[in-house]
Amino acid sequence: MTEPRHTHPVTPLVTMVRAAPVLIIGIFVTGGGEATHFLGGLGTGGLILLILIGVGVYAFFSWTRLTFFYDDDGDLRINSGVFVRNERRVQLSRLQSVDVTQPILARLFGLAELRPEVAGASSEGTKLQYLALEDAQQLRAELLARASGLRQEEGVPVATAPEQVLVQVPSPHLLASLVLQPSTVFLLLLIPTVVAVAGVAGLWELGITGIFLVFAPVTVVGGQFLKYFGFTVAQSPDGLRLRFGLTSHRSQTVPPGRVQAVRIERPLMWKPWGWVRVIVNVAGATGGEEGEDRPSVILPVAPLPVARALLQQVLPGVDPFSVVLTSAPAAARWRAPLQHKQLAVGATSTVFVTRRGWLVPKWDVVPHARTQSVRLRQGPWQRRLGLASVFVDSTPGPVSIAALYQDAGAARVLAQEQTDRAGLARRQAGPGQSESHPVGPPIAPDPGNGADLP
Amino acid sequence: MSAPRRLEGRLPSMSVDPFVADARGWTPVNSRLATVRRLVGLTLTVLVTLVAVIALAVGGFPELGFVALLVGLGVTGWLWWLIGRQVRAIGYSERTDDLLVVSGIVFRRLVLVPYGRMQLVDVRRGPLERYFGLATVQLHTAAATTDATIPGLRPEAAGRLRDQLAALGEQRSAGL
Repeated sequence: MTEPRHTHPVTPLVTMVRAAPVLIIGIFVTGGGEATHFLGGLGTGGLILLILIGVGVYAFFSWTRLTFFYDDDGDLRINSGVFVRNERRVQLSRLQSVDVTQPILARLFGLAELRPEVAGASSEGTKLQYLALEDAQQLRAELLARASGLRQEEGVPVATAPEQVLVQVPSPHLLASLVLQPSTVFLLLLIPTVVAVAGVAGLWELGITGIFLVFAPVTVVGGQFLKYFGFTVAQSPDGLRLRFGLTSHRSQTVPPGRVQAVRIERPLMWKPWGWVRVIVNVAGATGGEEGEDRPSVILPVAPLPVARALLQQVLPGVDPFSVVLTSAPAAARWRAPLQHKQLAVGATSTVFVTRRGWLVPKWDVVPHARTQSVRLRQGPWQRRLGLASVFVDSTPGPVSIAALYQDAGAARVLAQEQTDRAGLARRQAGPGQSESHPVGPPIAPDPGNGADLP
Repeated sequence: MSAPRRLEGRLPSMSVDPFVADARGWTPVNSRLATVRRLVGLTLTVLVTLVAVIALAVGGFPELGFVALLVGLGVTGWLWWLIGRQVRAIGYSERTDDLLVVSGIVFRRLVLVPYGRMQLVDVRRGPLERYFGLATVQLHTAAATTDATIPGLRPEAAGRLRDQLAALGEQRSAGL
C-alpha cells in the first residue's frame, strides 16, 4: 500500500467558483433574496455568500476525505465521501482507458481531471477532481504502465510513453466538414424556405422566427467544432492516443486490441472532397449517460487514405475497402427505396463488412473474432419480397453492423457462416488479442455491385 | 411500368424460408407458457370489457353494451389464438458449435450464438412461472443486443440446458 494522496488543494475553491453562476441565477430566478428577512435581512448578496461559504466548507471536507493510493495488489483505490463513505477499487487489469480532461474553469487554474475508465463502472465515482495537469499526466502514464503489467518501483517516476503523431485534423477541414453534414445543410436550406414562405404569405413574425433559425446550425456546428478542435491522433505503446477540444480539452487512450468494430461514414456532401469519418466500438464502453466521454470518434474528418492508414493501426491487416461486397437484390428497392443501392455485405477471412445509408453511407466492419452473436430478422414486407436482414452483434457502442434486405435464403446462409466464422476465430485468436490469422471460409465473391468507395 | 413486373419476378423466392430448421428440427417450448402469457395478456382485456359492458348497461345503453361485449369477446378470442401461435413459434436448437433460437410469426427472428461467446447463462423464474412450473433461460454475450431468451422451459430442462451451455461455453473458449 502506498501513502494516500490528496487531490490538488485548490479543488474546493474551483468547486466554489463553479457553483457560483448556477447559484446566482437560481436565486435571482426564484426571488430567493426576498425570503431572507427572517434571516435578519441578509439580502440577496448575503444569501448567495452564505450558500457559497456552505458549498466551500462542504467542498473542503470532500477534499480532505478524498484520498487515493495503490493497495497491496497494486490496484488503485479511491476513498471519498463526506457523509457516505465510498471506497472504490479500480482493478488495473480491467482498465479500459484513462482520460485527462480540462474543463475551462480547471484550465484557468492549471488543473485537470483524471478518469480511469473500467468496464461496466460509471466513471462518476472514479473521477479524480482536480489534479495539477502535470500530476494528472504523470498519474495516467503510471496507471497505464501498471495496467500493461509494468509494475514500477514506488516513487520512481514513470516516463510518459513516447508517442508518434499519426493524424492532425486541420481546423478549416473540421469546420467545412461540419457545415457539409446533411443535418446542417438541411437547417441552412430551411431558413430561406421559411423566410420565403413568410414573405409570400406576408407573415412578418414568421419571417423573424425564420431568421432566428440561423442559431440552430450555428449552435450545432459551433459545439462540434469546439469539441473536436485540434483533433490529434497519436500512436503510443499504451495504444492510440486521442487529444481534442478547445474549451474542454480531452485526452483519451484506446488500448491496443480493444477496438471491437469500426464504422467509416461518408456524408453525401463530403464525397467530392474524398473525406470520411471513423467511429469505433471500444470494449467495456458501457453506460449511456456518459457515452460521450468514452472513445467513439477516432477521426472526425480526414481524406480516405489517411483514414485507411489509421485503420491499419486499430485493425491491423484489414482493409475493408478491398472486400468484395454483394449488393442487396433488386427487390430491396421496395423496402428501402432511398438506400437500396448502398446496401451490400461481404466478408474476408478476418472481417465482416456491411454497407448501408443514404445521406450518410456507412461501412461497418467487425472482425470475426469480435462477433458476439448473429441475428436474422424478417418482417412481413421483407417476407413478401423474399428478403431478410442479418445483424451482427458487437459490444455496446455507436457502431452497429447490419446487412439489410438481403435475399432471404442467402441471408440464412450468411448468418450461419458468420456464426461459424465467429466460433472458429475465437478459438484460434483468443480473448483480448488482436486477431490476424486468416480463418473461416470467405463468402463467395459476387462482383458487379454499385457504389464502392473511389 | 417494368418495376411491378420485376416485383412479380421475385415472388417465387417467397417459398425460401430462412427460418426453417436443420435436420435436428426446433425443440418447442412447453405449451403451459401459452397459459401464463394468456393469463397476463388477457386479464386486462377481460377487465376492460366487463367494466365497459356493465357501465353501458347500467348507464341505459344496453345495445351498446352488447356491442362492447361482442368486441371484447372477439379481441379476447383473437389474443387467445395469437398467443398460442406465438408460443408455438418459439423454438431452439442446440447444435455442435452454436445455439439457435427462433421466434415470431409476423416479425420473425432467429438468434445464433456461438458457444464460445457466451459470457453467462441465467435461469429466471417469475412468480407466475414458478406457479406453472416453468423457467426462462437467457444467454448473455459481451453484446447488449444479443437477444437470446428461451422462455417456457421446465425447471429441470432449464437447469440442464444452463449447465450444458455453460460446459460447452467453457470448452469452446478453453482451447485458446
